[in-house]
Amino acid sequence: MGADIIRKSSMILRRYSILFLLLILVIVASMLSPRFFTVGNFLNLLQQSSVIGIVSIGMTFVIITGGIDLSVGSILALAGMIVGILLKNGMAISLAIFITLVVGALLGGINGFITTKARVPAFLATLAMMVAARGMALLTTDGQPVFGLPSKFNVLGAGFLWGIPISGIIWILLTLITAFILKYSVFGRRLYAVGGNPEAAYLSGININKVIATTYIISGLLSAFAGIVLASWLTVSQPTAGNGAELNAIAAVVLGGASLSGGTGGVMGTFIGVLLMSIITNIFNLIGLSSYYQSIFMGVIIVLALVLNEFVVGGSEK
Amino acid sequence: MKKFMKKASLLLAAVFVFMLAVGCGQSQKQTSSSSSPSSTSEQKKVIIGFSQVTLQSPFYVELMKAAENEAKAKGAQLIYVDAQENIQKQNNDVQDLITKGINVLLLNPVNPDGVAPALAAAEKANIPVVTVDRPTTAKVATFVGRDNKEMGRLAGKKAVELLGGAGQAKGVIVEIQGAAGDKVMMARRDGFHEIVDKEPGIKVIQSPYCDYTRSKAVKAFQDILQANPKIDLVYAHNDDMALGAVQVLEQNKITGVKVVGVDGLMEALVAIKAGKYDATVLNDPQYLGKLAVDTALGVLNGEKYPEFIDAGTGLVDKQNVDQYLNTSLTFAPSKK
Repeated sequence: MGADIIRKSSMILRRYSILFLLLILVIVASMLSPRFFTVGNFLNLLQQSSVIGIVSIGMTFVIITGGIDLSVGSILALAGMIVGILLKNGMAISLAIFITLVVGALLGGINGFITTKARVPAFLATLAMMVAARGMALLTTDGQPVFGLPSKFNVLGAGFLWGIPISGIIWILLTLITAFILKYSVFGRRLYAVGGNPEAAYLSGININKVIATTYIISGLLSAFAGIVLASWLTVSQPTAGNGAELNAIAAVVLGGASLSGGTGGVMGTFIGVLLMSIITNIFNLIGLSSYYQSIFMGVIIVLALVLNEFVVGGSEK
Repeated sequence: MKKFMKKASLLLAAVFVFMLAVGCGQSQKQTSSSSSPSSTSEQKKVIIGFSQVTLQSPFYVELMKAAENEAKAKGAQLIYVDAQENIQKQNNDVQDLITKGINVLLLNPVNPDGVAPALAAAEKANIPVVTVDRPTTAKVATFVGRDNKEMGRLAGKKAVELLGGAGQAKGVIVEIQGAAGDKVMMARRDGFHEIVDKEPGIKVIQSPYCDYTRSKAVKAFQDILQANPKIDLVYAHNDDMALGAVQVLEQNKITGVKVVGVDGLMEALVAIKAGKYDATVLNDPQYLGKLAVDTALGVLNGEKYPEFIDAGTGLVDKQNVDQYLNTSLTFAPSKK
């Protein structure tokens, strides 16, 4: 039990440390540009972050159990292509979205199956899926984009509800729902148990494989959904979409206080992690500084956040 | 039982991987026209090898397909390989092509200097090399490509015209930039500035690098719009990014901002037709692929070519958009 208290308190501290970092960043950004602290800019930030934000929620689930999912960007692209092609062929929007989500969940299921049943390390299993799903995305149209999607479909990614981007509302809602699941459901508690100490989790009768496989299904499903939102926002399906999304999502989850060895993390922290990364790009764009500095600064911030975590927690637990 | 399950699932995984591999092999067979050269025909078929920089870009896929069709039409055979933006893979690929016994090599280099081993191997095997779309530093038979600087100039001229004409042009231009350190980006940037920098009334705001992708351009343009609410024209180094800007303008219900892109992407032409977009500059991959194959066959026949063969370009705006509109294509055709 003592270890549990330490873990809990360290998680709280980790989460505070990122809030602290967010606060510093917002203050600095507001000093750098008068346009930063405006409603319009925050709404933009929300919209810009929502796609990678939705991907990162799924990634959080996977990372909590000590896994990793490199296939999110490719599944996102494939989903965008599928939904685009279905809509282009006159299918009803809701049905097209449903079919696409099923495909995403299925690919996640294959990831889960290969990692748990075939015992292939998650890094390699999802790497294989990353390559294969990208190939499928390119194959759907022979590498060509699909444009001219119905304007009704664009509401999802580009529409507004009470002046707030719908994609941002979806992201916030998904974060709240999944935060609730992680905190209060049996499944959520099992995730932390499996990630923290698989041996103990197994002995207490948890079906570890089932729990782990489920996280990959969730990740595949949410990546597919993010792909739908992106296609809807850009009004085009592109087979090259989501390139590098996996690394951004992993960085956001870790910034949010998760450990890659599993057992810690949460979607609220991830939410802030995603925002943090978006704000860095946003502020540099506002003051018109070059991309090179953005990249350097992004690296510095990630390291700083992790060092801060270590420092606050007082050495790593594992 | 457990042991059996584990074994069975391993077997299943192996079968899955195998099927994937076979599937890939199958689709390869369908897409590449590499039927083994028939020994029955009296004349041995000419084999053209094409090492393409990447097949993850619509432009290069179209270029590839056009080259394939042209080779078929001319009775030659084309074998292609995809370097996946990886210079080492490209050098190995070319080596494999030479082993397969190609007669001439079409090369779109990942990097102008990095393909030295490939060029050396081709020279050793007495195989002439024609570069396509991107040049090499070392001398080859000829380079079939386009003048991206000229594309930038055409876009610049149109931009000046849209903002009031030479000498009186006034306004703020946002320039959405391609990829850092990229030669195409530099050419499209420099050509554009050659024209607009002469106009004292024009101010240009340059975006961060958006890697020619729409999602990055949308984000960057949203931020720039926050910092500079008053802009008059958007120029992007490709249509995909410019279409992202159109999206942002529509979303913010901003009208009256002119948009100019490069590439002749059909989606941009549709937007021109709808009055949401002002101009794009042609960059037709189909013609480039056709010309590359014709040149390669010409080189084999001993014809002499200049160092650079220009596949040409042109401007599309609302006056002439109807001549190019064909939504079954991804890029506008340059030769009507």
